[in-house]
Amino acid sequence: MSGFSIVDARGICKEFPNMTSPVLDDVSIDVQSGEIVALMGPSGSGKSTLMNILGCLDGPTRGSYSLGGRDVSTLTPRERAWVRLHYIGFVFQSFHLIADHTVLENVTLPLYYAGLDRDEREARALELIERVGLGDRLGHRPAQLSGGEKQRVAIARAVSGKPRLLLADEPTGALDTKTGNEVMELLLELHDSRALTLIIVTHDPEVAEFCHRQIFLRDGKIISDGSQHAAHA
Amino acid sequence: MRRTRSEVVGRAVRTAIRNPGRTILTMLGLAIGVGAFLAMVSFGTGARSSVMEQFEILGTRVVYIWGNMGRRDFGGSARPLTDADVEALLRDSMTIERVVPRVTEVQNVKSAYGRYPTKVTGTMPDFVHIREWPMLIGGMFDETDVTQRAKVAVIGTTIARELFGHRDPVGQTITVGSNLPLRIIGVLVSKGEQTTGEDMDEIILIPATTYQAFLGMPMGYHELMVQVRDLGLLETAMVEAIPIMRRSHRLADIEEDDFRMASPAQAAELARFVSTILTGLLIGIAAVSLLVGGIGVMNIQLVSVAERTQEIGIRSAIGASPTQIMVQFLAEAVVLSFTGSLAGVGLGWLAATLVAQAMSWSGTLSLLTMAGAAAFGTSVGVAFGYLPAKRAAQLEPIDALRHE
Repeated sequence: MSGFSIVDARGICKEFPNMTSPVLDDVSIDVQSGEIVALMGPSGSGKSTLMNILGCLDGPTRGSYSLGGRDVSTLTPRERAWVRLHYIGFVFQSFHLIADHTVLENVTLPLYYAGLDRDEREARALELIERVGLGDRLGHRPAQLSGGEKQRVAIARAVSGKPRLLLADEPTGALDTKTGNEVMELLLELHDSRALTLIIVTHDPEVAEFCHRQIFLRDGKIISDGSQHAAHA
Repeated sequence: MRRTRSEVVGRAVRTAIRNPGRTILTMLGLAIGVGAFLAMVSFGTGARSSVMEQFEILGTRVVYIWGNMGRRDFGGSARPLTDADVEALLRDSMTIERVVPRVTEVQNVKSAYGRYPTKVTGTMPDFVHIREWPMLIGGMFDETDVTQRAKVAVIGTTIARELFGHRDPVGQTITVGSNLPLRIIGVLVSKGEQTTGEDMDEIILIPATTYQAFLGMPMGYHELMVQVRDLGLLETAMVEAIPIMRRSHRLADIEEDDFRMASPAQAAELARFVSTILTGLLIGIAAVSLLVGGIGVMNIQLVSVAERTQEIGIRSAIGASPTQIMVQFLAEAVVLSFTGSLAGVGLGWLAATLVAQAMSWSGTLSLLTMAGAAAFGTSVGVAFGYLPAKRAAQLEPIDALRHE
């Protein structure tokens, strides 16, 4: 399920004013549409910073990044917000649901920012919440849900805006093995049914097993980038 | 964008309801500020109109002239106020319509039912006209009674109650001093208490001639009440009266006036001026409290932005634009300020009503004032909500997300 480059980052450098060595040093990465990529490496290797740049949460110090054929390396904060809204979904290790919002409100939030009217938002969200198996939890607050349920809500929210690219930062990191596997299954299902490109930041080899391709970073550089036999190939 | 403004407000209301502690804290400052503002406005206007009423009791268009007889600081040379002064004023002035003299001393007063030492006033029939004082029952004594030194009296409601209880006093007799029986021919309507606490209804009026004949007035009259033809002539009348009085008292050029003169209208003017300044001062203080309320909104909103940094990061990561985040926080400031201001209007109205009742002032807060205070309070809150909203909008999403 590959075709064109959705992520085409070249010579990405990221420096922070208070650090002597760059966090990312000349990183180039090309992800085809529909790929499932694991971004791996020890802590401090720069993988979170790379994810932030790929997710348009931050811009690179140098280098070019084009997302879906569009150059996004030099956007204003407002333009980056627009790109995130329409192209990217995020799943985080600690779920990052909004605590005083219900399940339904959390899932509809991106659609609210996209300017959809209430009926359309709720119709789309309901379908997704059913899909992730939480149809009976619509009015619950995050605090009333288990970790696995929270991550399902977060995944529903991440894909509700029909993004092309889903970035997951340690999506199973806060979950036990069984729940973690269920979450990975759900991500793969959504990948298949929604033509998603998935980039998963992880240091869990079991999670990496699910992916078509593993990229290893160390000290801000890519040290290996290759396909291996994926469990779900 | 099909997203309506009402939805932005709806979300802000929901956030306010779901975080009651924060909401109440934010509203409190503004509520107190707006409440204090309204209370001060109401106290100011209430006190002022009450002061004005007090002066109106003393009669409009009236100048009072007092003698200096018996005043130690004046030496012994002052002449008493007499009927000759009354005649001179009426004869020589172009502006004076009426002159009513008054002499008042505390006397022992008895009826068949009780005894009450009180002030007895000798005066003329026009007393009730100058003081704009209607009769409750019976009538005022007339010129004939004055000429004949009639033994009649008109009393206030306090005297009627003290000496006759619930009986009809008209036609009854009171005895003043050791041996002056007076027939009561009328009762004045009640004027209540003055702000000084003086009971206006503790009054006995008898003809000045009767007073002079049977009680004596070695010091002359205590006071001449001079009514001018028109309120606009008050100043002229006062200027005019001085040489007339000086001639009547045969004062040499080097001698000081042996009388004093003042008008309630002038005093009222002064009182109005003073109370305007005081009202302004009160409103100034209240405006400061409103400002402090606004700063309170800002502080709580700043804390709220800090507290919700991660939430802002999440919203931003999801794709909320800086403008959308700013609008969210501004909308919350609007909702909180508006609700807080409304609560303040309620508080202020309550305080104003309670105080007005306690002080028996008339209703003082207009709808316009209350609406204005609410609008002002809301704008203060929104103005101070801007900085926190801007700060929220400018947060970097990655920093905000990492914030725990």
